[in-house]
Amino acid sequence: MFITDIRKEFYDVVVNQRVALLVSSDIDALCACKILQALFHCDQVQYTLVPVTGWQDLGTAFLEHKEQFRYFVLINCGANVDLLETLQPEEDSIFFICDTHRPVDVVNVYNDTQVKLMIKQDDDLGVPSYDDIFRDEEEEGGDDSGNESDGGSEPSGKRRRYDEGEVERRIERQRATREWEARRREILFDYEQYEYHGTSAAMVIFELAWVLTKDTKDMLWWAIIGLTDQWVHDKITHMKYVTDIATLQRHVSRHNHRNEDEDNSLSIDCMRISFEYDLRLALYQHWSLFESICNSSYTSCNFKLWSMHGQKKLQEFLADMGLPLKQVKQKFNSMDMSVKENLREVIEESSNKYGMKDIRIQTFGIHFGFKNHFLASDIVHAAAALLESTEKDDSPGDNFIKALDCLSRSNLERLHGGIDLAKKKLMAIQQTVASCICTNLILSQGPFLYCYLLEGTPDVKLFSKPMALTLLCKYLLKAFVRSTRNKRCKLLPLIIAAPMDVEKRTVIVLGIPPESETSDKKNFFGRAFEKAAESTSSRTLHDHFDTSIIELKMEDRTKFLDALITLLS
Amino acid sequence: MSASNENGVRLDKFKNKGKDANELRRRRVEVNVELRKAKKDDQIFKRRNVTTLVDEVTSPLQEKSQNCQATRQWTVEEIIAGVNSNNLDAQLNATQAARKLLSRERHPPIDHIISAGLIPKLVAFLGLESPPIQFEAAWALTNIASGTSDQTSAVVEGGAIPAFIRLVISPHPHISEQAVWALGNIAGDGSVYRDQVIKHGAVAPLLSLLAVPELSLFSSGYLRNITWTLSNLCRNKNPSPPLAAVQQILPTLVRLLHYDDKGVLADTCWALSYLTDGPNDRIEVVVQTGLISRLVQLLGSGEIAVVTPSLRAIGNMVTGTDEQTQAVLNAGALSMFPGLLRHHKSNIQKEASWTLSNITAGRDSQIQDIINAGLVPLMVDVLRKGDYKTQKEAVWAITNFTSGGTVEQVVYLVQANVLEPLLNLLSTKDSKTILVILDAITNIFLAGDKIGEAEKLCMMIEECGGLDKIEALQSHENELVYKASLNLIEKYFSGEEEEDQCVAPELTTDGYAFQISENQSTFNF
Repeated sequence: MFITDIRKEFYDVVVNQRVALLVSSDIDALCACKILQALFHCDQVQYTLVPVTGWQDLGTAFLEHKEQFRYFVLINCGANVDLLETLQPEEDSIFFICDTHRPVDVVNVYNDTQVKLMIKQDDDLGVPSYDDIFRDEEEEGGDDSGNESDGGSEPSGKRRRYDEGEVERRIERQRATREWEARRREILFDYEQYEYHGTSAAMVIFELAWVLTKDTKDMLWWAIIGLTDQWVHDKITHMKYVTDIATLQRHVSRHNHRNEDEDNSLSIDCMRISFEYDLRLALYQHWSLFESICNSSYTSCNFKLWSMHGQKKLQEFLADMGLPLKQVKQKFNSMDMSVKENLREVIEESSNKYGMKDIRIQTFGIHFGFKNHFLASDIVHAAAALLESTEKDDSPGDNFIKALDCLSRSNLERLHGGIDLAKKKLMAIQQTVASCICTNLILSQGPFLYCYLLEGTPDVKLFSKPMALTLLCKYLLKAFVRSTRNKRCKLLPLIIAAPMDVEKRTVIVLGIPPESETSDKKNFFGRAFEKAAESTSSRTLHDHFDTSIIELKMEDRTKFLDALITLLS
Repeated sequence: MSASNENGVRLDKFKNKGKDANELRRRRVEVNVELRKAKKDDQIFKRRNVTTLVDEVTSPLQEKSQNCQATRQWTVEEIIAGVNSNNLDAQLNATQAARKLLSRERHPPIDHIISAGLIPKLVAFLGLESPPIQFEAAWALTNIASGTSDQTSAVVEGGAIPAFIRLVISPHPHISEQAVWALGNIAGDGSVYRDQVIKHGAVAPLLSLLAVPELSLFSSGYLRNITWTLSNLCRNKNPSPPLAAVQQILPTLVRLLHYDDKGVLADTCWALSYLTDGPNDRIEVVVQTGLISRLVQLLGSGEIAVVTPSLRAIGNMVTGTDEQTQAVLNAGALSMFPGLLRHHKSNIQKEASWTLSNITAGRDSQIQDIINAGLVPLMVDVLRKGDYKTQKEAVWAITNFTSGGTVEQVVYLVQANVLEPLLNLLSTKDSKTILVILDAITNIFLAGDKIGEAEKLCMMIEECGGLDKIEALQSHENELVYKASLNLIEKYFSGEEEEDQCVAPELTTDGYAFQISENQSTFNF
């Protein structure tokens, strides 16, 4: 069921209990987790934090903790599958789910006792009404009456005699039942067809903190990062992003308002959050402007930097801005103050000339101390890089802790480490995009585009991780749309596959919806993958919380794809 | 129970552990009865809510035109008023309205009608000289009696039994059939009302309905109703139906058993299965009618609705004395079992295994009959691949086999590779079954001891991983399991060193004597 009063129905319930906190591996979930941890610290709530990467993990974590815990809080996992069916919990286990995955499984929605959904009702949920999809047992009677007599079961001791009219009515009712069931299938199909994401978990938990009047600037910052994660990884529509930014901006002004007058002005060491129209250039304040332009999807795609022509255009662009190459290529921090002064305006102006009208993006930044300035997207990139680090001795658990750490202001070293990793990752992505485009690795399969990263491709290990692969896939599709002349292809979704586990001979497969300005970001690949796997009995693992990401046996790749083509044609 | 003295002596000679086969058999029956009862209750409940369509259109009850008009439902108050008026037409209409309320599928207002005190009136209407109102009242009462025991009691206490019995021989077939149906519902409530129906003399008129030269003149719906009611008169135990009534009904059942209609045959077989589900003297009454060979035929009919109850009846019969079991064997029943043990319905496999378990609890000549019918490999198959309930029955069959069989027969069983699947089942959770398996192992060892092959048995058990399982059972929570496994280990699997020296070479020389022993004159394993 949906929780309407998050304070009464969630926080007041768990505040005197021990809580198991199961957190999915994405940045929004980490941020929600940080906020909740801070709240739990305030009220001395005992909790155990367990990172989970997929359904199997979730199942194991539940089994390990179900003895000691009654209350489970699931962050960014659990909403889109029938949870009780999956976990088979005892009747007294209670699950609080704060998850962006949509559609929410209908059984979760209509379970009143064990599943509590902390999901904002103003999200466009479109849950089918109860009566359309469920029927009380009694009404369903009579279903199996037809074949009862040949079952060899003992005859009943007593029998009632029915009216003849009753027989006709029964037939009529059976017909109605069949119709109802057909309609139910249709409704559920429509409802479950597309996968998409709702309001950021961090924002939902932040609102809880706000309602409790325990919200702090740090919490607000985490909520901002959570939302920014949804934007960076392209999970929500532009419209949704702008709306949620506006919500957060109100909170930001509220917090800033407290310190406006002279007497209460904050020390420079305190954190200040500011709303900004900043540039869509990844990590530019921690990189050189040149490298940021080269490795940001928006600029790189617009210039088509993978081509000679594109490189030339970039040079022209830099010249147009009147910035000396030497300045542009050195560390942003070390650029001349005179150049930096109205840098944003200069870049914006030239960008407009070069057809990059959307170079500006509404976002937030923080300042603390004299030199620490970060944009929300910087943190997202850094945390994501840490979370999916492929360095040798890092276990997923370690990575989770590191990523969580880098969100705290006190851990600047970790954050800078993350930013360095993120740069490497962005460069790897750009190089891979360039090589895929230049060697025509993206093939049109009819109903979708397909790209397979061969084993041995540079940095391929990086792309065995879901978030990195998602980012690559999104950038790749944007680049492809810019580069192809085939109009039909511009409207196709993209499936990408990359080696996942060399020993187990598996590949990770991901599908994303077509690229367009007005895209609703709804993804139908989850369902399609399930069906294709079923019909070919391919060995697949649908373990990821995003149903559009699966693991597949390498040998089954061909038949799986063939089935997918037939299915979607 | 009434096994002959001679038999008892033989058994005591065989059952070295003081467990005689009869005891084994009986216990099996108890378990099964329990299961069935639970299932039956479940069934009644389900049927009543879920319902089947009314019998085929050929039933004389299927009058069409009467209820076309006035589909509006009456309230119970209106019905009371109508029934209590002095006008026959009004009474008829009200009765019909009551009947309709009670015939609707969902939530028939049975209790409401009862508490309104309508039953005595309805019973009185059964005695009126007006066929339409007799019929409507009979139908209404039938449906009230189809409810819970309390609801049935209300009908009986209203004096309905004698009234219905009078209507059985009504010249109007639809009224007769409705009365038969109502009596079936009353008798189906349990042994108390069953005996009341019998005491009021229902049997004779019911049978008289069928005392015609040609049964096929009846519609199948009519015939099925009568058969079903007769089967309810045979149903339920504690006490079983009066012997006199059973003997009165049996000839008719024999006749129905030759009638070619699936529904009639099924209900007749169910009746026979009820009659054979009891002490040996009850089984004897059925055996004496000589219908076994027809039952065996029906076992092979392939019609699941008929095979199930006929197998149940056969299975009940072999829980009887060795002579009764012999009568079943003489009728060639075993020739049907290959098909039954491989039946696609696991329930049939289970019942067949249960039946065999009671045959293997008999004489060694009867065990030999099973061997000769080629059933042992099939039993081993079932043990290996059947569903769990079936496997449990097969375990019993094997254990009884090993306790009653000759050394030669046990050797044959081992040669049929029974050990591995049998030992595999030791991993079950059910300690009762584990004990039964350990019994079988002990019996097999006893046979092995007699021909000095115990050590080879040890090897075989160890080879298929059985020893590990038996060893693991020593830490079983059940005291008896612990003791039984400890006994086996101590007796046959200890003294490692000594064995190591003498067994190892033996293994290499004539290794798996079990497989080749068929060629030898002794019963080497």
